[in-house]
Amino acid sequence: MEFTREIYWNVGHGFTTLAPMYGLLLVALAVFALGFLKRIKVYRLGQPLDRTDQRGERIKHMLENVLLQTKVARVPGAGTAHSLFFWSFVVLFIGTTLIVAQADFTDLLFNVKFLKGTFYQLFSLTLDLAGLVAVVMLGALLTRRYLIRPEGLVTKTDDALMHGLLFAILLTGFLIEGARMAVTEMGTPLAGWSPVGLAVAKMLGGLDEAGLRSLHVGLWWLHLVLALGFIAVIPYSKFRHIVTTSANAFLADRGPTGKLTTVNLEDETIEKFGASELSDLRWKDIFDADACTLCKRCQDRCPAFNTGKPLSPMQLVNQIGEVAFANPQANLIETIGRDAIWACTTCRACQDICPASIEHVNKIIELRRNLVLMEGEFPGEEVMAAMEQTEVNGNPLGMGYASRGDWAEALGVKPLADDPEVDVLYFVGCYASFDKRNIAVAKSFVKLCQAAGVKIGILGKEEKCCGEPMRKMGNEYLYQTLAMETVELIKGYGVKKIVATCPHCFNTLNKDYRDFDFEVEVVPHAVFLEQLVASGQLALKPEAFACTYHDSCYLGRHNDIYDAPRALIRAAGGRISEMAQNRDQAFCCSAGGGRIMAEENIGERINVKRVEMAIATGVEQLLSNCPFCLTMFEDGVKGANAEEQLRPKDIAEILAERV
Amino acid sequence: MKTLLVAEFREGKLRVKYSQLIAFAQQQGSEASMFLVGSPGDLPQFNGPLYLADVAKYGEYNPSVHKQLLLDVIAKEQPDQIVFHHSSYGWDLAPRIAVALKAAQIAEVVAVEEGLPVVPVCNAKLRRKIKPTTAQTVLTLQAGAFGLEDDPVGTPTVVAIDADAAGKVQCTGYEAAKIEGVDLTKSEIIVSAGRGVGKPENVAMVQALAKALGGEYGASRPVVDAGWVEHNRQVGTTGSTVTPKLYVACGISGAIQHLAGMKKSEFIVAVNTDKDAPIGEVANVLVVADLKQFLPVLTEKLNAL
Amino acid sequence: MNILICIKQVPDMESKFKINGEGNWYDRADLAWRMNEYDEYAVEQAVRLKEQVKDADLTVLCIGPDQVTETMKKALAMGCDRGVHIADADSYKREPIEIASMIAGFAKDKNFDVIFTGMQSQDRGSAQVGVMVAELLGIAAVTTIVGFAYDNGTINVKRELEGGSKALVTTTTPVVLTCQLGLNTPRYPTLPNIMKAKKKELLTLAADAGSVGSRQETAAFYFPEKKGGGIVLEGDAAELADKLIHLLKEKTGVLA
Repeated sequence: MEFTREIYWNVGHGFTTLAPMYGLLLVALAVFALGFLKRIKVYRLGQPLDRTDQRGERIKHMLENVLLQTKVARVPGAGTAHSLFFWSFVVLFIGTTLIVAQADFTDLLFNVKFLKGTFYQLFSLTLDLAGLVAVVMLGALLTRRYLIRPEGLVTKTDDALMHGLLFAILLTGFLIEGARMAVTEMGTPLAGWSPVGLAVAKMLGGLDEAGLRSLHVGLWWLHLVLALGFIAVIPYSKFRHIVTTSANAFLADRGPTGKLTTVNLEDETIEKFGASELSDLRWKDIFDADACTLCKRCQDRCPAFNTGKPLSPMQLVNQIGEVAFANPQANLIETIGRDAIWACTTCRACQDICPASIEHVNKIIELRRNLVLMEGEFPGEEVMAAMEQTEVNGNPLGMGYASRGDWAEALGVKPLADDPEVDVLYFVGCYASFDKRNIAVAKSFVKLCQAAGVKIGILGKEEKCCGEPMRKMGNEYLYQTLAMETVELIKGYGVKKIVATCPHCFNTLNKDYRDFDFEVEVVPHAVFLEQLVASGQLALKPEAFACTYHDSCYLGRHNDIYDAPRALIRAAGGRISEMAQNRDQAFCCSAGGGRIMAEENIGERINVKRVEMAIATGVEQLLSNCPFCLTMFEDGVKGANAEEQLRPKDIAEILAERV
Repeated sequence: MKTLLVAEFREGKLRVKYSQLIAFAQQQGSEASMFLVGSPGDLPQFNGPLYLADVAKYGEYNPSVHKQLLLDVIAKEQPDQIVFHHSSYGWDLAPRIAVALKAAQIAEVVAVEEGLPVVPVCNAKLRRKIKPTTAQTVLTLQAGAFGLEDDPVGTPTVVAIDADAAGKVQCTGYEAAKIEGVDLTKSEIIVSAGRGVGKPENVAMVQALAKALGGEYGASRPVVDAGWVEHNRQVGTTGSTVTPKLYVACGISGAIQHLAGMKKSEFIVAVNTDKDAPIGEVANVLVVADLKQFLPVLTEKLNAL
Repeated sequence: MNILICIKQVPDMESKFKINGEGNWYDRADLAWRMNEYDEYAVEQAVRLKEQVKDADLTVLCIGPDQVTETMKKALAMGCDRGVHIADADSYKREPIEIASMIAGFAKDKNFDVIFTGMQSQDRGSAQVGVMVAELLGIAAVTTIVGFAYDNGTINVKRELEGGSKALVTTTTPVVLTCQLGLNTPRYPTLPNIMKAKKKELLTLAADAGSVGSRQETAAFYFPEKKGGGIVLEGDAAELADKLIHLLKEKTGVLA
């Protein structure tokens, strides 16, 4: 006998079946389309934004994210369960489509049947197992959500609907199969190719054929209604993420990572800056809310949330969604709350882990821009003072600008104004220029360059803050003033290459300044030194030591530089005991997003928490690559009562001790 | 040389720092008389003529009336210099007198060198010695710049004065200094605790020293982070930026945010075991000592003064 | 309501000061410039008063070289309506009465209801100009205000006094008010206001100190001996305490 089965068995393949079936399908599709059309109207409340460029890349990114579940699967457990459920559901969907395709098209119109023979055997087995995996994974997810209840997981009626509906669809599917098999396949060799169906069929063994048949037909229609109901309900429930999250992978920001949009301050027609209302945001910011699945991965990693501050990236994104769909006139700043808006360190942990390609940080920056540029508001007077100090002296610390280059005088490093013939320009940054602790790092870097025979110059008193903390705090105007001055200055000296010991300077010069016609190569000191060591230009005398290494947010998540600093540490003889949260999962030091200028007066101290993670590794040195991190850790070891236990240092210092 | 000293009376009391005016006159070897809108029942210890207008009649702050009273005395006494405190009373009244007399006014005199008054410029970073070119000069003296070794003694010869003048400015009362909540930016003396205090119990030593000096206590960020001192006492760019007359940093190594928040203080004393700590760069005096031993001794000696 | 705000451009006090060639003031090289901090409170209070009474015109006045217009732009961005720059490259040599005469000369026929200014400048710190302007104009003046309320021509202010208490003072317009730190929180100019400020009227007038002659000369201008000059004290605790107390008595007024 040929392995196949009669499609529409017991249901009939006549008008009385097909008409209501396709009628219902049309209704479901119409409801589906209507739902999304309504939502699209809401997305369009936002400002225009082109996210259809680089289509090839976008499609590739989407396929990876959706079909391979690359981002979802990054988190084991729930992520794995979701991926497996997704894949099995896709298999079931394809299977159903094939059945419909054969019965109502190829067979009906051309008399072609392909669900037969070996293919059908495998088809049958695959679908049966996919159904099983789907049920098991759904059960696992259900157990997690309703029994384990992880902290912070938001469970709504939507979730009950999803779980219930999916279970009902899968269950009715197996019962239909079982009932059919109990009548048609018992004892045939084909039965073994549907092991789950067979088991169900055996369970239904107590019913006679008439009972099985009426059960079958009833469940068949129920299954159909449930499946079509599922389609219809997608736009109206969290199921919508099937569409929106997938689409968001296509619409995702294509980088450069963490580069902010540059506001056109020359355009005199712009009367409002930043966002205080929904219509000030871009449509993608509204769409993001629809793409969010409340998986809380962002919240789990947010340094602000995890130290008791009123910011949850997940909640913020959803508050925008709630405003969009319920009360589009509402004031976003009041809805979200100032403390939440100011709490962000722009560490990108949220955005990096988000499986839905949501852009959290730029929303916060837009809200901050509104507060700063339109209201003159800051998280505190100390931040306003730092802004004013930067306007006057070019640094947020309020140190006299003329002494900016004093630290280098005795080292033979000259300002370009005195000697522009250099191999590289060292962009020192405010902390390494004025803070004694970070001056030690700058001096170490100079020592390393000199040992490697690299001639460096600085801008000296002409250097000003790169503007990064101000920009992240929302002060686009001050940032642009600083950026344009610095760009002009550096271009005037014909510099070919810039090295920065501060990842914030590096990221800003290397990404944000590109909007100002700035093309000079910029590298962070970790990468620059690693190249010198790898090429043999910088010879180290390795000396064994144990340490842990902190990935700064701006070298790590913003620039994917994880290996160069580790290679340097190893080259110096270091053995790294990694903290639990390392590389792309690293926990912020607290100073990003302009928070270096602000008091941290809500909740626990982020820097102390990070220092405690370092202490837990049991080593005595905490290496980092960023002046802000170093400053925060110097305070953090004191806050954690661990001055004797843990010494924070910059990589450059460790290397300079070994030349 | 004749000097007219302008004493102050406020909130029902003679302001005792008039002795600084006397010290100034003595230092000049000048013949001194005194002017006061005050109470006959609360007179300064001063040997010399005291021109006294009754505060009950003329009010404690009534600039144009006080100006007229004082101008009348000046007309009669013909002093070479009229000397005020550089205070809310002095800097308010002195320019009015200077304008009326077309006299040079020299404000916030901190010293007299070679017979010429010296004033601070740019937050005392610089000094300027001034040569007045008018016959009469009006001076205001920086608080604490001149002082007597001992309390003044003497009994003034009271000359009651009156004037017929009215003013548009009326003082209707006083608002007492707020005691709830501390505002370090307004404190003239701050003693701050850093991590060098070692443990929370030792913060009490810093508090005791602050009390002995008549100031407030503050802390660096790590001490506040550790919860040893409440947040509103944090000194630094992420706390309060302070400019007291005296700042005593106890066990503070001097992180940049802290330095930036206190280095404008007029006089900085650092107590630290580490001679090379960054705080040493801004300190006027660095006491190399274990503060657990040093602070109690210092506090005791100050209390005994 | 017609309001005048007198501001000054001063070097940031963190600057590296040097003495000028004439030996009578600081050199202008390598200095960062800003609005005198006290004047920022004056500007803020004027803007708040305008916000309260609605119908008011704010003129900000500044004396000095052309460079001071940069600082005036901040006042315009904070909310002043027009600027008057009295161009005077020699303003650093002017004594307070001369500056006051220039201001009074400008203000005398303008019927200003309120003149706000800082209680002193951060560089010269004479605390004289405001009161002298009032005396020259023959109007009332209240100094060192830390509180301000306006109601229908009546002005209630708080004066800061030594020791933390405040005097409650009532006066009427016209009046000169000199502002102390803490009077308010000066605003950070919003971007639209910064843009608008660029288009506001900024009138430049020639300096005219009138008939006021010089009343004083700078005999010397110098850096004070370092008060402690980084004195390092080491030794026994009791000895250290005595030395420190001695230094505090000698170098500071706090134990007086």
